[in-house]
Amino acid sequence: MIDTFLDGKETISDCWRSNAERAPHREAVVHYVAGEEPYRWTWGEILRVSSLYARALKDQGIHKGDICAIIIRHHKDFYPIYMGISSLGALPAVLAYPNSRLHPDKFRQGLEGMVRRSGLDYILTEKDLGSVVNPMVTGSGSTIRAVLYPLEWSLEGETVERFPSTEEGGDAPCLLQHSSGTTGLQKAVVLTHRSVLEHVRRYGKAIDIGEDDKIVSWLPLYHDMGLIAAFYLPLTLGIPLVQLDPFEWVSAPVILLEAVSRENGTLAWLPNFAYNLMADRIREDDLDGVRLGSLRMLVNCSEPVRAESHKKFLSKYAPFGLRREVLAACYAMAETTFAATQTLPGKEARNLSVAREDLSAGVIRPVSPGENGRVCVSSGTPISGCELRVLTDDGNALPEDRVGEIAIRSVSLFNGYHNNPEKTDEVLKDGWYFSGDYGFLNAGEYFIIGRKKDIIILAGKNIYPEDIEDVVGQVEGVLPGRVVAFGVEDDITGTEQICVVAESQADAEVNKKKLRLAIIQAGMEIDVTISKVYLPPPRWLIKSSSGKPARKANMDRAIAELMAY
Amino acid sequence: MISERLKKIILEALQLDDFDIHDDTTANIIPGWDSLSHVRVIIAIEENYGIRFKTLEVIRLENVGQLQRLIDVKTG
Repeated sequence: MIDTFLDGKETISDCWRSNAERAPHREAVVHYVAGEEPYRWTWGEILRVSSLYARALKDQGIHKGDICAIIIRHHKDFYPIYMGISSLGALPAVLAYPNSRLHPDKFRQGLEGMVRRSGLDYILTEKDLGSVVNPMVTGSGSTIRAVLYPLEWSLEGETVERFPSTEEGGDAPCLLQHSSGTTGLQKAVVLTHRSVLEHVRRYGKAIDIGEDDKIVSWLPLYHDMGLIAAFYLPLTLGIPLVQLDPFEWVSAPVILLEAVSRENGTLAWLPNFAYNLMADRIREDDLDGVRLGSLRMLVNCSEPVRAESHKKFLSKYAPFGLRREVLAACYAMAETTFAATQTLPGKEARNLSVAREDLSAGVIRPVSPGENGRVCVSSGTPISGCELRVLTDDGNALPEDRVGEIAIRSVSLFNGYHNNPEKTDEVLKDGWYFSGDYGFLNAGEYFIIGRKKDIIILAGKNIYPEDIEDVVGQVEGVLPGRVVAFGVEDDITGTEQICVVAESQADAEVNKKKLRLAIIQAGMEIDVTISKVYLPPPRWLIKSSSGKPARKANMDRAIAELMAY
Repeated sequence: MISERLKKIILEALQLDDFDIHDDTTANIIPGWDSLSHVRVIIAIEENYGIRFKTLEVIRLENVGQLQRLIDVKTG
C-alpha cells in the first residue's frame, strides 16, 4: 500500500492533495478535547481550510523558504495552519507554547536563541503571547518580519480554487524542528521532503502500517516523536490521527485510554514515563468502558525503555484487552528524521537479563541464577535504509555483546544542525551520526542502555544540565559557578529525577531550607522541576582540568556521599 | 480560604517543608507541583478526604481556591 501510494510523489503537499482527491470524506484528524465532542476534519475539509490559510499567509508576505514558527496551543485550526504554511513551500517549525511556570523572560530568551540560530522569519501565535513576542520584531539583529495571529482571522465565506502547488522538488526543505533545551542551546534540524517521505515509507513498512490503522496521540508536536510518528506518518499516508491535548493528558492520563476505546485506535507512541503514569495513577473505577483490544502497537520511545514499566502496564491493562505483543519499542532521534530501529509488529519487545558486574565493564553476559542482573529491553532491528554501529571511544567497531556508542547512517539522516557548523562537526563524521547514546547489539537487535552525553531526559524531554546550572548559579547564597545538575533514574516514575549539587556558605538548617526552596524555584523559572538539592560546603565539588566542576565525577560522588543519607 | 488540612496534604505530597498557599495560588508557583506530580497531589487529596474527582473537574481547576471549594462541595 505504501509504495503504491508514495510512488511519483515528491513533496508532502503532493500526498495531502492526493489523500483529499481519493477520499475527501475520510477522516484526516480527529481533534480531541476532553468532555466535548471531537472535531472531525475530513480530508476534503482540511484541505479547503488549509488553502484558505495558505492564501491569507501569502497575503501577509510568507513565501517559499521562509521559516515560520508556530506557537499555538491545542486548537482545531492548528492543522490547516501548519498545512497552509507547508503548501507555500515555507518551513513550519512548531515551538512549545510556554506553560504558566515558565518565566516570561526565560521564554523570551529561549525564543531569541532560536531566532538567532534558526533565522525564524515569522511567528504565528495566539494574541495572549503578543506582549511577550512582539518586542522581538524590533529587537536588534532580529530576523522576524512579523508576528501573526491566524486564529483571529475570519476566513469563513472565503473561497479558493485549490490547494496551492509549490512545484517544489523533493530536495526542497520541508520543515524545521528543534532539539529540546530551554535557554538558547537548542539545535535546529531542517529536513527535506525526500527525507520525510523516505522515512514515512520505510518506517511505515517497519510497523506494517495500513488502511485499517488509526493513530492516537497526546504527544506535543514540537517533539520529533509527536511530529514525525504521530503527525507526518498518518497525514502523509492518509491514515486517521486522533490528536489529544498534551496538557489535558498529563492532568488526566485516562483520556488516552478513553480515546483509544472510543475511536478504536491501533497505534500510539509513548515515552517510558507514560507507562508508569498510566499504570500507577489511574484507578480501576475510572476505567469503565475502556477497551484496549483494538491496539496493535504501543511504541515505547524517547527515553530508555524500562522492563518494569512494560510489566506493570501490561499487568494493569491486560484485563481491559491489552495484548502482550502490543508492547513495542523503537530507537529514534530528530537527526535521523525519527526512527533508527523498531521491534517487530505482533511481537513483544524482547527482554534480556544481563550480569551487572560485566555490564559495568561493557560486556554483555546473561545473568546467572542468584547473580545481580539488569533487565535490558530491545529497541529492535534497524529499519530499512538505516545502518548502526557500536563503537569504542576511539571510533573502532565493536562486536556483538559489547557496549559502545551508537553511530547511525541513514537515508533519512539530516545534513547538519541549521546555522551551527560547530555542533554539526561534533556529531556528524563521514556520513555517520554519533548519537552519544550507549548500547549494544545482541542477536540482531539493538539495546540502548545509557548516554555518553550529560543530557537529562525527563518525561521524554531533553534537558541540558547547563541550563539548570546557569539559573541555579544565579541564586543568592549559591557560590557562583559551583553548581552541577544531573539526572538519576527513578523507578517509581519510570523517568529521571533532576538533582542539583550547589556549594554554599549556608550552615544552619533553616538557611539551607530557604536556599533549597530558592533553588527549586529557580528551576521552575525555566520550567524544570528539581527534585533533590544538596548543599555541600565550599570546595566540595571536583573540578575538571578546565577549572569547571566535572559533572560526571561529581554525580558519582554525590550519589555515593550525599544521596545515601 | 484554604484549610490547614488541604495545605498539609499538598505540602506532604510535594515533600515541601512549608509554602504559603492562598485561594488564588496556582499550581505553577508551588515548588514541585508540575504536570508529572499533579496526578499524585490529586490522588493524595482524594484518599485523604475519601472523595473522587471527575476527569473534567481535575482538568478545569484553575487555582487552589477552586480545588478547596470542590472538596467542600463533595464533603458537604
